[in-house]
Amino acid sequence: MTWLFVVLAASTLLGGLGVVLTRNVVHAALFLLISLVSVAGIYLILFTEFLALVQVLIYGGAIIIVLVFAIMLTRTSEYPRISDNRQWPLAAVAALALGVVLGTAFWTNPPTGTTAQSPEFTELANSLFTRWAIPFEVASLVLLVALIGAIIIARTGNGGEG
Amino acid sequence: MEWAWLIPVFSFAAVPLIILFGKYLPGKGSPLAILAIAGGFALFCFVFIGWLGASPDTEGCSTSDYTGTLTCEYERTWFQAGLPGLSSDVDERIHLNWGILIDPLTLVMLGLITFVALMVQVYSLGYMHGDSRFSWYYAFHALFIAAMLTLALADNFLLLYVAWELVGLCSYLLIGFWFERPAAREAAKKAFIVTRIGDVGLLIGILLIWREVGSFSMTAAFEAVHSGVISQGMATVVALLLFAGAAGKSAQFPLHVWLPDAMEGPTPVSALIHAATMVAAGVYLVARVYPIFEASGDALMVVAVIGLITSLGAATIALVSTDLKRILAFSTISHLGLMMLSLGAFGYTAAIFHLLAHGFSKALLFLGAGSVMHSTDELDIRKMGGLRKVMPLTALLFSIGALSLGGIPILAGFWSKDEILVAVNDHLPPVFIVLTLLTAFLSALYMARAMFAVFFGELRPEHEHVHDAPPTMAITMFLLGILALGFGLISLDWPGPYDGIGTFLFFEEPEAFHFTVWLGVLSTVLAVIAFVLGYLIYARKTISIESIRGRLSWPVSLAENKYYIDELYQFVIDRVVLTLAAFIGFFDRAVVNDVAVNGPANLVRHLGVTLRLHVTGHVYSYALAMTLGAIVLALVWWMQSAS
Amino acid sequence: MTPLVYFQLLSAALFVIGLYGVMARRSAVLIIMSIELMLNAVNINLIAAASHLEGIGGFVNFDGQIIAIFVITIAAAELGLAIAIILRMHRNRGTVDVDEMNLMKW
Repeated sequence: MTWLFVVLAASTLLGGLGVVLTRNVVHAALFLLISLVSVAGIYLILFTEFLALVQVLIYGGAIIIVLVFAIMLTRTSEYPRISDNRQWPLAAVAALALGVVLGTAFWTNPPTGTTAQSPEFTELANSLFTRWAIPFEVASLVLLVALIGAIIIARTGNGGEG
Repeated sequence: MEWAWLIPVFSFAAVPLIILFGKYLPGKGSPLAILAIAGGFALFCFVFIGWLGASPDTEGCSTSDYTGTLTCEYERTWFQAGLPGLSSDVDERIHLNWGILIDPLTLVMLGLITFVALMVQVYSLGYMHGDSRFSWYYAFHALFIAAMLTLALADNFLLLYVAWELVGLCSYLLIGFWFERPAAREAAKKAFIVTRIGDVGLLIGILLIWREVGSFSMTAAFEAVHSGVISQGMATVVALLLFAGAAGKSAQFPLHVWLPDAMEGPTPVSALIHAATMVAAGVYLVARVYPIFEASGDALMVVAVIGLITSLGAATIALVSTDLKRILAFSTISHLGLMMLSLGAFGYTAAIFHLLAHGFSKALLFLGAGSVMHSTDELDIRKMGGLRKVMPLTALLFSIGALSLGGIPILAGFWSKDEILVAVNDHLPPVFIVLTLLTAFLSALYMARAMFAVFFGELRPEHEHVHDAPPTMAITMFLLGILALGFGLISLDWPGPYDGIGTFLFFEEPEAFHFTVWLGVLSTVLAVIAFVLGYLIYARKTISIESIRGRLSWPVSLAENKYYIDELYQFVIDRVVLTLAAFIGFFDRAVVNDVAVNGPANLVRHLGVTLRLHVTGHVYSYALAMTLGAIVLALVWWMQSAS
Repeated sequence: MTPLVYFQLLSAALFVIGLYGVMARRSAVLIIMSIELMLNAVNINLIAAASHLEGIGGFVNFDGQIIAIFVITIAAAELGLAIAIILRMHRNRGTVDVDEMNLMKW
């Protein structure tokens, strides 16, 4: 365990906690950004530079921007009032319990892992466009459909006439 | 002869035609019914001639080992039941056959039914004229006749039972024909329920035979009784159960209570169903399964005792009843009792012979009563008198019927009653013959009472302008009158090849006509005394009715109240049956319905009402539930892999 | 180097935090953010395993990374749709409070 992992893990978790605990929705978005970028750092520790890059680009860039736009486009005055619901203590207990379950599961059955290593960048690309070609195309189709669907849903006008 | 099955088919076919198209047919469909039964009668004549010409060599015919008569049986498979997959062997499946059995007993029944039915239907043309449900009347009538003929022809118990129940249904429909009248409704229900009590016995008896023999065939049942497959005890049980059915239909004590009430139906119906044919079905059944009764001597004794009680009790009630039709009804019960007594006394021929003679005479009497009622709208004999002056033909014919049943010599009833007396005298203890003679005397007395009270004495002023019966009614009564007059002569041992009915219709051995002189003389004397007495009391009124009543007030009131049997039944029904029914009803409602049926439904509904409140529609609630579920699944999985 | 199990623990912790967010938040936007956290937790797990382990069955050792790429792709698509729905809901009902979106109950 290196100090770098500790720092990145801590900032990831703290960012996550910030997202779920703060009452200010804009702060929540910023905490999410911290967490996501820290995750990109984790990817770097694992020698997966390509994914770290994608993480920063898509999550750190696109997704956070879209979220901030969403926050701007919806009314912000109600956000503090509706941040938490009434079942949050129960939710905390349940989440903690699941954490214990997952943690115990991982901790009691540690994988026999070797040291971290990553394939060549080109090898990854080859695999993506040969073995995984069909899922790749399907994923692009899903993106297209989601794009059209998002436009139709968000368009001006009431009801289902859009 | 194998075409005998067509006899009921004509009438069966007429039923739907009359129901559906009766309105458009000429005469509202009545000619169709009459034509059907006339065809049946004609066919019966052919069958009869065919049977006379048949010998044991004829196809399907043989001399029965069990009754000793020439019996022709034509049978085909109705259907096969059982599990074809379990057994490929056709013989192991259950074969249900239907077929016809023609022997003298069947023939006389067919003759009686077709002839009386023909007469009654023609008579009904006049009697029921203008009734609003005229076609229905003929439809029911045709259905009844078809069922009754099937009953007489059936060669197995299943077909017999089907016809038996159909006959009961028609009886119900025809008793309640004028269902606008509450009394008719009640009488119909009573008849149906009381006979049903007996029918249950019949059904159990038939099922017992099936269990013992594995077949519904009568011949097979006789064979089993003969060879000892059915033990004597079992034969007694079966015979008594069958007799229960017979007692229900033939109105034997203690199931006789429905017949007097059944007089609420139209009078021709009373004549056909409740005097001549349907009530004879019980006697016919006992005669038909006589080998079973014979195998169990005890059952025959029961039949004899029940028959005697019935005939004596009913005769006394008939003596005090004031309603003309009810007098005839009790008289019918009494004579049915005599037939049963005769069967119980090994008087097989005598019983069936009396069945025929009584059938013709009683049909005539009922038709005469119907004629009186048609003209005067009156049934209470105390309000009638002297009608012979305005209705001479009816009076004459009614008197023939009454004298015949009363046992005046030469007439039909005398000969048949004499045969019964001989049988009782030969086979039963002396007390039976004494009581039978008493019954015969009473029978003559109430017949004299009905005859003299209605047609003799003073003519009432309100009846001075009534008319005699219309032609359709008169002609049928006339034909029946001839039979009532001369039918008894067929029992005699005439010179020539014919040796009396005993050589034609017999059980096991032909019996030549025999006449015990002292019995004949005694019964004649008793009958004549009774008629003279009746004349003096009811026509001349030289002997005061009141003085007799005063001396015999206790037994008279007992008889007038029909020995309180109806009241006893009412009491039992009110106190026992209804209490039990109330308990069962409560059990059904409280336990079966509320707990067993509605209970689970209510539980689920309450659960639903309670649980649906947890379905908040909030996404995070569902997420929480999913999480908890995942935790539980993980724990379960762990525990399983740990153990 | 850091053993694989620590990455897995980190992944579990981040997942649980995201799950808590989904369960405890009322605002639709915050719930979306929490879902993103959960998806990231899954990605960490996938990539860490892909880096440390040989492939199992028909998978080779870096297939986890490719699956992670697909996860990111689908997450982006899902987010686009979710934001569209939130905007629509805000326009129609004037709120992004999921308590108000409870028509499909009882």
